[in-house]
Amino acid sequence: MMERRKTTGDMSAAELAEVLSQVRAGDADAWGELYRQYAPAIFRFCRRALPTREDAEDATTEIFVKVRQKLGMYDASRPFTAWLYKVASNHCWDTLRRRRIRQDLETGEVETLPLEHPEPSQLERLQTEHTSKEVRAALARLPDRARMALVLRYFAEMSYDEIAETLGVRRAFVGVLLLRARHSLRDALGGETAERHSAAGGKT
Amino acid sequence: MNHFDEMTMLLYLEGQLDAERAREVSTHAATCAECRELLRALQTEETWLRESLRAEDESVPAHLIAAPERGGVPWGWLTAFGFALGGAYTVWSGFIEPWRAQAAQAGFEQGNVLTMIFFSGAFWKGWDAMRTLTEFLAVATLGMAGMWLLRRHWRHTAAIAFVMAAMACALALPSVAMAAETHHGDPDYALAAGEEVKTDLIVAAGVTHVDGQVDGDLIVFSRSVEVNGHIKGDILGFAEEMRVNGPVDGNIRAACHSLTIDSYVAKNLMTWSEEVELKQKAEVGGTITIGADSFDLDGKGAGDLAAFVGNLQINGTLGHDATIRGDRIKIGPHAEIAGNTKVVSDRPVDTAAGAKLGSPIQFSRPEHGPKYNSARYYWHQALGWGASFFFGFVLLLIAPAFFDKVRGACQKALPAMGFGALALIVTPIAAIVVSITIVGLGVGISTVLLYLIAIYSAQVFVGSWIGEKILGSGVGLGAALGRLALGLAIVRAIEIVPVAGNIWIPIMWIWGLGALVMTAHRLIRPAPAAAMA
Repeated sequence: MMERRKTTGDMSAAELAEVLSQVRAGDADAWGELYRQYAPAIFRFCRRALPTREDAEDATTEIFVKVRQKLGMYDASRPFTAWLYKVASNHCWDTLRRRRIRQDLETGEVETLPLEHPEPSQLERLQTEHTSKEVRAALARLPDRARMALVLRYFAEMSYDEIAETLGVRRAFVGVLLLRARHSLRDALGGETAERHSAAGGKT
Repeated sequence: MNHFDEMTMLLYLEGQLDAERAREVSTHAATCAECRELLRALQTEETWLRESLRAEDESVPAHLIAAPERGGVPWGWLTAFGFALGGAYTVWSGFIEPWRAQAAQAGFEQGNVLTMIFFSGAFWKGWDAMRTLTEFLAVATLGMAGMWLLRRHWRHTAAIAFVMAAMACALALPSVAMAAETHHGDPDYALAAGEEVKTDLIVAAGVTHVDGQVDGDLIVFSRSVEVNGHIKGDILGFAEEMRVNGPVDGNIRAACHSLTIDSYVAKNLMTWSEEVELKQKAEVGGTITIGADSFDLDGKGAGDLAAFVGNLQINGTLGHDATIRGDRIKIGPHAEIAGNTKVVSDRPVDTAAGAKLGSPIQFSRPEHGPKYNSARYYWHQALGWGASFFFGFVLLLIAPAFFDKVRGACQKALPAMGFGALALIVTPIAAIVVSITIVGLGVGISTVLLYLIAIYSAQVFVGSWIGEKILGSGVGLGAALGRLALGLAIVRAIEIVPVAGNIWIPIMWIWGLGALVMTAHRLIRPAPAAAMA
């Protein structure tokens, strides 16, 4: 929560409630205020969830159109940012799904190919060798669902249930998705540690 | 003891394991350095991922922060609405208007009185004026859409206010230019004999007496109306009781409880009333079009008669054809019908011996139920689909969020149907109670009207929901319209299936109505909570 507050400006809970009720009453200035407060966070979310910057810009405006329409559905007892990210993630996922060529796993089946256990030292080296920008560039090269899973979990801080609902997979599959996504990211960053050895299984 | 796999470790770190399994992992990690190290590596990887993702080291495009309206709803739907109005105008001037002219020339031979009333604009004074108004509105709406687009560059609310004011003035001008004398009765209104109104006369009063002359049209809303003077234009009346004893040079168009005419009407008579009486001295120069429970024709009609009545008694003269659809039809001994007489009724026509008919009565019994082998039936179905689609379209533009919610509420079919059944039964009862108690007739009638609209909209919501099930929940107006069109087509297709259709219609009503009621209830309830928060 603390981290989230940092990225979404410094509106206190009371201020937010005030602004929200004004927006509901049709106050255009309050809407502008709300927009300015949260647009950067939503843009960053889209920038990570969608492959290109143009996509992210378009998605941001579209998401706020939706937010404005759906504001009546927001349950004030829950964190506003969580709801905002929920709307945003549904939108981004819809966008991706619509343009996706059916090449990656749509059906939600569990991959049977085993993953090799990472070497702790190599994992740590990956972390020190790459900047945030490089990580995000690698993220953009991942398959849609893997990228989405990472963004939903580690950026939007969604629960496994929320991720399952958004991506339309079983809850039990979310962990597998995240693990595979992390492996793909390591691969994409050029770590040899996660190189696949079809023969070698995990230690059990 | 065995090592744990990476999957288990990830779930452990993310707090997704159950207590027992988590304990196993921690117990094992306490003794196994290898696993402990991997756990730590995964943990730091997670932190590093979070930090990398959450880093705010990129620029946010300035236009995103500066322009909340960009791509926003208002101009989108304002333009759409402007286009819709423009389209409506085109349809009117290109399709309905020529058709109407044709129908008028043909002397209203279409059998469907309701269609005629709607499309011939029977109750409207001067469709020409309406047309220019529609035209103006279309332009004004487009103007407003343009303003929304330019709002970003304008910024000054003063400038907008100025333009709005100018538009309001422009809108107000035509009504000022229209000359008419308007009276609100206090509580009654009377135009004494010998007095003269040079323009149109518009009256709203308890009891209205017009004994003087009106050079223009007489438009009257009144409990009781009596016209003894000369009306040089049309009479357009809404009254409980209306008697016309003075000559009318134009048409009479009236919706009344009882309408009595005992004078010369130069043009057409069209009315939608409970009881209508054309007394012996009454003479209508044009056509007579009537929807009534009981209609006594003792006077003369020079043109055609189209009647949609419960009880009909003809004892007067008709100069042309008569097309009648009714229940009890009596043609008296003094009746004279010069043209053909077509009757559709469940009971045989009671014709007196002395009646003079131009040709034998063409009698037929009404066909009950839909005519599946007639193309016209399917054309009507298509028109019905179009009408409901347009209704849904407007609803979608005006209240997209509400529309969405009601459609979502259809998902809970069973509770929706429960609420719907309740609303379907309780609302009319409540409306009747409201009407007869002190709350008043106005509230009662508006309740019933809203109720009817709600029932009509049920198909739109249920259809939209079905459309979503088939086409998926794509975003944007286009997708929503696609869902609506397909869903409505399916809903209406089921309606015309012989037996299933009759079962389906009430189900759809209570389903859609219930969803509507549930959503409305939810919308009304959280409002105070949000205000308090």
